[in-house]
Amino acid sequence: MKNTYIGQAWLVILLSLSFGAALATVQSALNPKIEENRLQDTIGQIPNLVPGAASGDAETIGEHVVYRARDEQGEQVGWVLPASGQGFADKISLLVGVDKEVTRITGLYILDQKETPGLGNRIVEDDWRRQFVDRPLAKRLTLVKAAASAEDEIQGVTGATISSESVVGIVNAAVAQLRVDLSGQGSK
Amino acid sequence: MNKEGPTSLERFIGGILPENPIYRQILGMCPTLAVTNSMEGAMTMAGAVMFVLVCSNILISLIRHLLKPHLRILVFTLTIATFVTIADRFLAAYMYDMSKQLGPYIPLIIVNCVIIARCEICASKQGVFTAISDAVGQSLGFGLGLASIATVREILGFGTWFGQWLGWRVIPVTAPEHWSTWVVMILPPGAFITLGLLMGAVNWIAESRSRKVA
Amino acid sequence: MSYLASIFVLAVTTALINNMVLHYFVGICPFIGVSRKVDMAFGMGAAVTFVVSVAAALSWTMTYFVLSPGAPLTAWIWRMVNPSSTAVVDLSILNYIVYIFVIASAVQLVEMYVRKFFPALYKAFGVFLPLITTNCLILFVCLEIMKHIAGATGPDAWGLDKALIYAVFAGLGFMLAIVIMAGIREELDHCDVPKPLKGPGITLIIAGILALAFMGFTGMDNNLLKLMQKDAPAANENAVSQHQSPITDN
Repeated sequence: MKNTYIGQAWLVILLSLSFGAALATVQSALNPKIEENRLQDTIGQIPNLVPGAASGDAETIGEHVVYRARDEQGEQVGWVLPASGQGFADKISLLVGVDKEVTRITGLYILDQKETPGLGNRIVEDDWRRQFVDRPLAKRLTLVKAAASAEDEIQGVTGATISSESVVGIVNAAVAQLRVDLSGQGSK
Repeated sequence: MNKEGPTSLERFIGGILPENPIYRQILGMCPTLAVTNSMEGAMTMAGAVMFVLVCSNILISLIRHLLKPHLRILVFTLTIATFVTIADRFLAAYMYDMSKQLGPYIPLIIVNCVIIARCEICASKQGVFTAISDAVGQSLGFGLGLASIATVREILGFGTWFGQWLGWRVIPVTAPEHWSTWVVMILPPGAFITLGLLMGAVNWIAESRSRKVA
Repeated sequence: MSYLASIFVLAVTTALINNMVLHYFVGICPFIGVSRKVDMAFGMGAAVTFVVSVAAALSWTMTYFVLSPGAPLTAWIWRMVNPSSTAVVDLSILNYIVYIFVIASAVQLVEMYVRKFFPALYKAFGVFLPLITTNCLILFVCLEIMKHIAGATGPDAWGLDKALIYAVFAGLGFMLAIVIMAGIREELDHCDVPKPLKGPGITLIIAGILALAFMGFTGMDNNLLKLMQKDAPAANENAVSQHQSPITDN
């Protein structure tokens, strides 16, 4: 009995071994490219988020990963913060660019969102995100439905209040967290 | 028809319309509904399915005489899972945005009934050339089905066709005063209703044809 | 946020808001095929829930201890073989193969159990029981669990408890959808459905209307979270985590 089991299973064993070898080859060949893609998603955005930045390096400050945006000479010109939070439908991940002294926002980029197409989806549009550029961070940003009148007001997307509010909330939380981490580190 | 079963040509033609996996065999529903809100997603999925189906069919057809009856599902599953992993890694490396958009639906090709059904019905019984033509025919049929649904959903839902890759607009951007996009088409309900209605249409065409012939 | 609250929100989200059939499109084949009679549908839902819990538990264990990058068991074996190496062992390329085998074994186990203890049910199911192996839902649940183990930190990282809750409620959501569909289809038997639409056609259209209805649940998890926040004692206003929790906690 046992003889026939092993005898019958030899094909499966042989196939498993050869497939394993093939997969290992694929893994070693493609893994670097995939990692590069993943990094490019975040680091590739840094020049768009902080004016004058050419690259950035990741750093862990107080348990949170942030990126120092550096210009061509290597001088730091700002920070890029990855942040995420619950949106209307699912998680929203984004990158916030702030200047070096954390006094104003220099850019916003939505990495990942699954909001309603045509409504909440519009948070990725350039026009809406441009509202965040050059906003002072002295006070927390708030969302308004009509046109923004004060410096700390952001106008929400029509018909997508919750998605817009989530983005504003995530940005506020990320900036506050950076301030806490930096003061805790004593470097500011 | 030779004694071994349908010929390669019959397999090929059969896969496209008469035995279309989506409309006639009602297999592979999960990716059909999930990725068809844009033509790019649909075509990427069709390409991935074609890769996995052709490779699995070739391999299974080559070893068909060595398969023991009670181990064959195991072997099919192992083969399909390996090729799907390769396809998934390939997409993540060279079409990263598409891979993020399609998300978990590429690995779900492993349990796509179309592939296991073709391995069982054709590849394990007939030669390599027949298996290849069967695989190509079935994947063309699958791609055709996906394209039909994706066309309806993308044009009505976004107003574009191949919007992400080619940027073709079917409904002009300035048209919103006269036509606003049907957002429901992009969402789950639109998928179900579109597929249901199209299936009804295909059944009706097949009915009227068989009545004309009879 | 309290542990029970997060479990509750996860359960409600999985079963209702992100319903497996009506939102993620997994498990459609049995949804169309087995939803003719309510008792069959209920039996199928229960079988799927059973299988998915077993499969989720096994796949969580395999992923956490063996497959994910830097997994404990693999790292330990690697260090025994090659003590001086500092490389991180990453077996995640084998994920899909391991999952599908775990699912096949789980289905086999459930099949043997049902055949022994519920022979009438076993006969009624026929070929559909082994077909649960190709049910996208189970593989989808395993993939979601994998996403929350590899490279996830904080509330995103799921222990065995959250993985099991996710799996059980995914199965229950499937059962809810399929039983509703069966109830509607039983009524449809007395209606005048146009011939081209009979069978899968009308089922899909009704599924679309059901999906529209279930879309009404969206955003409920946000409000549930806020509701539970109100019950918690008010924390320090300056504490960043308090500002963060309604938004960044999941």
